[in-house]
Amino acid sequence: MSATSIAGYLGRRAAQKERVRILYRKALKDTLNWAVHRHLFYQDASELRERFEANKHVEDPDTIDRMIADAEETYNKFRHPDPYIVPWAPGGSKFTRNPTPPSGIEIVYNYGREDND
Amino acid sequence: MQSIRNSILSYVKLRRPTERFLFNSDEKARMQLSQWMCSSTGRDQNQITKRVVGLVKKFDKIDASKVTETAHFQKDLSLDSLDRVELVMAFEEEFSIEIPEEKADKLTCCAEVAKFIVSGAEQKNMEKS
Repeated sequence: MSATSIAGYLGRRAAQKERVRILYRKALKDTLNWAVHRHLFYQDASELRERFEANKHVEDPDTIDRMIADAEETYNKFRHPDPYIVPWAPGGSKFTRNPTPPSGIEIVYNYGREDND
Repeated sequence: MQSIRNSILSYVKLRRPTERFLFNSDEKARMQLSQWMCSSTGRDQNQITKRVVGLVKKFDKIDASKVTETAHFQKDLSLDSLDRVELVMAFEEEFSIEIPEEKADKLTCCAEVAKFIVSGAEQKNMEKS
């Protein structure tokens, strides 16, 4: 095997690892979205992990590509319509709520007293 | 019990400086106070590092005695890539932040995670002010 084909093979494997990692991350997040209670999530998460672990030892790049494509298709059907968003992230319930006042604005701590009181 | 104790302690710690700042009318202190009231991100790095290390110790695939601030997740704690994904998700839940995909790959030890969390909080403050 020449050096270029080895490099190409390694590059392909690295890309596949990246895809699997991203897929696992997304699937794990949606598992949490679907779980109503925390104790249900633990069971589902370990089942998900087992499904990934089952094909850990597959070596052939073409087979791996096909498996990843299948898994991504399965994931697309599994996606949650209303996923949890961190409150302070864009789209979250606290996004841009109660921000720090812009610089140049002064808060006067006189507890609402008027000048002529 | 431990968490209750921690929350009370951090509350007391927060109270004292607030009172001091209320009574002296320093411009900068007022600015800081108003920032505290608006966002709960004013925490120091040591506290966050401690929380990160505690979280990593609780992770069930890790030998708790091996965990230090600079222990490499992959080499020293022998985690594979899927374990690291689970760990990153645990960090996201603990600190209620979102760690983007490309950043998550680069976090290799507890100290780096803490640094990332602090920098994220500071960035948020910068954007606001």
